[in-house]
Amino acid sequence: MQNFIPSAKLNDKTSTASKLFLAAVVCLLAAFLAFATPTQAFALETAKCTAQPNAESGNDIMGATETRITWEVQLAENETPTSFSLTLPEGSSCTTDHAKLTMLTGADLMTRNDLDATWSVDGQTITAELSEPATAGAYYRVTVYDVFFPANGGSMSLVGHIGLSDGTVAEVSDIPAIEVVGVTIFEQISQSLKQQDWVQAWNSNKFCKLFLDPTIMVTSFPVVFWGFLQALAIVACAFPLAIPVGFILALMRMSKFAILRGIASTYVNVVRGTPLFLQIYIAFFGLPLAGIVIPSFPLGVMVMFFNSGAYLCEIFRAGIQSISKGQFEAARSLGMNGAQTMLFVIVPQTVRRVIPTMTSEFILLYKDTSLLAAVGVMEVVMYAKTIVAATGSITPYIVAAVFYLIITLPLAKVVGILETHLDDTDGGSGKKKRKSKDTRGAKSHSTVIPERLDQPAQGNKGITPEQQPSL
Amino acid sequence: MKMKKWGVLAVAGALTASLALFGCSTTTAEEGAGDEATEASYTLVNEGKFTVGVSPDFPPFENLVDGEYVGFDIELSKAIAEELGLEVEFKTLQFDGIPAAVAAGGQVDVGITGLTITPDRQETVDFSDPYYIADQSVAVMKGGEITADNVDDLLNTEGMVIAVQSGSTGEAYAQENYSNATAQAYGNATDCFAAMQSGQADAVCMDKAVVEQMLAEAYTDAEVVKQVATGEEYAVAVSKDNPELLAAINEAIATLTEDGTIEDLTAQFLG
Repeated sequence: MQNFIPSAKLNDKTSTASKLFLAAVVCLLAAFLAFATPTQAFALETAKCTAQPNAESGNDIMGATETRITWEVQLAENETPTSFSLTLPEGSSCTTDHAKLTMLTGADLMTRNDLDATWSVDGQTITAELSEPATAGAYYRVTVYDVFFPANGGSMSLVGHIGLSDGTVAEVSDIPAIEVVGVTIFEQISQSLKQQDWVQAWNSNKFCKLFLDPTIMVTSFPVVFWGFLQALAIVACAFPLAIPVGFILALMRMSKFAILRGIASTYVNVVRGTPLFLQIYIAFFGLPLAGIVIPSFPLGVMVMFFNSGAYLCEIFRAGIQSISKGQFEAARSLGMNGAQTMLFVIVPQTVRRVIPTMTSEFILLYKDTSLLAAVGVMEVVMYAKTIVAATGSITPYIVAAVFYLIITLPLAKVVGILETHLDDTDGGSGKKKRKSKDTRGAKSHSTVIPERLDQPAQGNKGITPEQQPSL
Repeated sequence: MKMKKWGVLAVAGALTASLALFGCSTTTAEEGAGDEATEASYTLVNEGKFTVGVSPDFPPFENLVDGEYVGFDIELSKAIAEELGLEVEFKTLQFDGIPAAVAAGGQVDVGITGLTITPDRQETVDFSDPYYIADQSVAVMKGGEITADNVDDLLNTEGMVIAVQSGSTGEAYAQENYSNATAQAYGNATDCFAAMQSGQADAVCMDKAVVEQMLAEAYTDAEVVKQVATGEEYAVAVSKDNPELLAAINEAIATLTEDGTIEDLTAQFLG
């Protein structure tokens, strides 16, 4: 079979094999050396060693930011500890404040015994000298607060030493490394802001510190930004879907068939008559119980577009019904059927009229995405909330408000412009024109409208040339 | 048009200014009133009342039963208020907002709602002496793939979702010890369990006593797979501006510990 293996590959294989062998020898040697020099302490076993996540949200442990290390170790039966020490990697620091040594005993290790110890810090090493030798072979937990890892992060390997009653020191080298991420630029800015005099002066005012703390503002901005993208993604998916839903509902509500009308009005009335918050709860906690499991993002989008569809339905219905009856009659008299009338005459005019209201609905929908925070969708408010919970400052909510205003203020302006535009073309001059025509000839609507359809250039901008149906 | 805009601006400015002034004047007035009304020199939000911020979704510590606040913390609040010679009043707030509300003042005097002393929280508020020591617990739905034997490995994998209460120590525990999983934060304990039952989350990580209560009463189809003696100390959160109130509360807690009230309450609600 070996004949089939290309020689190059064979070489590869042998070289990796030899490398592996060498590595194994080195490891063994290293292990032998490590254990041989201090003492025979194979029984020492680190159960876990973790650091508390300290990023504004999520599970990351950041460098140059305060964290807490929890190291748990199981001693062998014949080992009685007299001291515990933990050495952090170069560039780290910690203090003895709040540091704690606990012995866990009993079933499931559920009984805590806080031990009396004298704590000291020497460089990167923190040591707890027990006042009296503790129980042999027990399970111990060392908690160290105010730990700062190096700013650029990396894989942090810690080394523990346990002094035993027989005078030897056991080295614990199987501590799992702690992955630390480097501090972000925002974190650095925040840290440097903290040192500035004006920031300290600003924060000495309780109101300013609670609502507009610059250091928290800087760190929460990038975090809340992710929520902003999520909220945008939700409306960007939900709103386009809501438009056809709303339109179909609007047509159903104006249908000749009582059943269609009934279905649409029931839907619209129920959805508009109950709070969106409740609908979200029902969808998120109710549907899964009924066996329908949908991930939270698509489910959030669904709730939003079904809700918005009901509102858009009413907007479209009002829009369609605002088109004067003469338009229907005129179109029908020109030989168009119902569908054609709708499609070529009514809808183009409706679209123009409902755009401002639709934009308002868009703004409402965007703001309502905040309600999804209650069911754990990570959007603007949710991200802000996690930072508020961690820091106790309201500042992240203010940052969140900024992210809403970025969208809503310009859009509100757009609505204003569109409305004035509509007034000028439709409500304003259009009405005047109609009035003047009415006074001139007192013509009925049905005779006025076809004229408009034929001669759009004559001043009626109710339908623009592009929207003008070719008759 | 221009004039109108400036007018609006001026009115808005005046409103803000008056609000700020009003805010100042009320606080000073309250301080004065507080001083006169009670012998101690602490200030209270409402004169003669001990206003406690609670998040009543954390049985057996605090919960709403038929619209009434019940639980360990509620009884403790009543006992402390009695010691202080005040009338107790509860105010429902979202759990993660309570330390901020206490720090900001104006709404509540203290927070007694299963708040664990943590260095982070200590930066915003002061804590009294602890009145209860809690542990963490992880619960899952029965019959799932997670069991007591594999919980540490299986739950600590990508894609696992652990429902936690926003801002709780359970959240911090899940983030630290199950760092590969996602700790999904919900507003209250009930929502966490609802999320797990509905399959939105694989597990719940929360204070042991609460998990046990939830399993006993509402979620009998769930089970505890892990318990950790984290030894978290529950204490009363008091504003840093109110050291006199803190001292009075510490005194009350000492008295209640001595006369056995706290022990009785523990036996009653957590026994």
